Parts: sequence; C-alpha cells; structure tokens
Amino acid sequence: MGKWLPMRQQLIFIDRVGEDMQDVGLFWDRIVEGYEIPPLIKKPTYTQLFMFSAITWNRHLIHYNVEYARRDGLPDVAIHRALIGNYLAQLLSDWVGADGKVAKIQWNVRAVAVPGDILVSRGRVLKKRIDGENKIAECEIWVEKKDANIIAPGRGEVIIF
Amino acid sequence: MEEITVEAKAMIGKETVLHYQVTERDIRRFAQAIEDSNPLYADPEYAKNTRYGSVIAPPLFCQMFAYSDAPASQLKEDGSPKEIDVPLPTKRVLGGGSSFELGEPVRINDVIKVIKKITDIYKKTGKSGVLYFVVMDNLWTNQNGQMVAHETATYIHR
Repeated sequence: MGKWLPMRQQLIFIDRVGEDMQDVGLFWDRIVEGYEIPPLIKKPTYTQLFMFSAITWNRHLIHYNVEYARRDGLPDVAIHRALIGNYLAQLLSDWVGADGKVAKIQWNVRAVAVPGDILVSRGRVLKKRIDGENKIAECEIWVEKKDANIIAPGRGEVIIF
Repeated sequence: MEEITVEAKAMIGKETVLHYQVTERDIRRFAQAIEDSNPLYADPEYAKNTRYGSVIAPPLFCQMFAYSDAPASQLKEDGSPKEIDVPLPTKRVLGGGSSFELGEPVRINDVIKVIKKITDIYKKTGKSGVLYFVVMDNLWTNQNGQMVAHETATYIHR
C-alpha cells in the first residue's frame, strides 16, 4: 500500500520531479512563516447539503428546502456553518498529511454560500512555535467564493509530528 | 430593545448529557457528507500502516453528535435544532462562528459522551436591528475520559 497523497499534493510532487529532493529536511523544517497552504476547492451540491443535514441530524429547513430558504430571505438553501468548518479542517489535514494533525480550528461565517458556488479554502502560516513537546504551526485560514469575497475567515493550529 | 427574558436566561448553564457509540458506518458516511476521500477515514488496510493503526474519524466528526435525536414534532416550524430553541423575540436563527479544540482521535466502537450547555446569551444592535447571540458549549470525551473535541459555537437569532 503506497503513501496516499491528496490530489493537490500529488500535483505539487509531480511539479517537483527533477528537483534535488535530498536536502528538503523534515516537514517541520520546511514550514516557513508566510507559507501559503495549497488551496482546496469545493463546489457543494444539493445532495451534499442534504447528506450533511442527515448525518448531523440537523433538520433546519434553510439547508434543504429551497422555498423556505427563499422565504427566509436567502438566495437558495444555505451551506451549513459546520460544513464550511470541515472544508477548512480538510485544507489543513490534506496539507500536513501523515506528518501532523489539526489541533485547533476556528471560523466565522460572514456571508451565505449556496449550492453551485465555487468555494476556495486557503491559508497561510502565521507563526511556528514549540509548546512543550508539540511543534505547532499557527495558520490564518479562510473560505472565499471564487473571484469574490471571503465568506468565512478563521484560524487553525496544526501539530507537526 | 427587548430585554432577554428570565425564561431565556434560565437556560444558561443547564447541561444535557448524551452518549453515542461510533460505528464504522458513521465515520464512512460523515466522510462522504463532507466529501473528504482521505483513506484514513475509510480504508482499514491503509489505516493499519499509519501511526493510528486503524481507521479514525475526520477532525470535526463530533459535529454529528451535536444535536439531539429529538423527534420532528418537538422542533420549531423552521426545523432548527432544539438546542438553540431559546425564547427570544426573533424569527430566524443562523450559524455564526465556531471554535474547536481537538484531542484524541475518534475510532470505531468509541463511546462518546457529550455534555452540552448554553453558556451565554447576549444582544447587540447591528445595521439590521437587534441581534441576539446564543453561545453553546459542547464537550466530547471518549470511554477513557479523554477529551476528543471541545467546541464553542455562537448562533445568531435575528
């Protein structure tokens, strides 16, 4: 069983074929403040929203009843705050892969997102610090609509093994 | 501006405690619902060769144990979660912000205990009028008493 890499990491790896990979060091050493985390792109569908409502047993109509959502002043059914958090968690966990884990994550939803929106999760490393035995990278993270504004700013911390 | 009622304030600090046993299917379905194809969440063979030794759940998996199994008849007309059904002079509720601290990974067969409570209710006047904020605290621990996740979530009632 080979090492699984998210598609974005595979692309980055392919991009680096031919480079000298011998002196890249450990994952922790390669993280620099200001590093931009490879973005994660999602295009949520009605089915996806329904699945997330079902798995979290969230019966709030604004997430699956278009008529109700519009009556409530929304353009369409709204993507859950909690689902947006999972996009940000995946942004971080895909980036660190087997070399780390998500320790903290915080986000605020500022604007509504609906099925069909192209949502790009991004982040950058703000600071590296050692806390006891833990090597931690503090990151600024956010979700933006493609070619538009940030809809959910946040912060995250990953522990690097 | 309407004051926060005594009935609403009385809900602050009241704890609800629930237990859930995690199944392989829960983890698989949660990973599908968030569209995360990491094999660590679905492939036992793959997971066996990682530092975890077995399948684990995605970081925010405990979200699936945030809302109670209240029957639909107990929900408000908008179907919003019972946990945030606070008597406030508002018509709508929406998710605001959330902050998670993550501890031990969740594994198949873990028995997760969740302690839920409202920790604060306050109001602010914004551009669109008065907004009421309900702050929820969710603490999830496993059968060994280890913290798996701790969330502070803010819901906006308007």
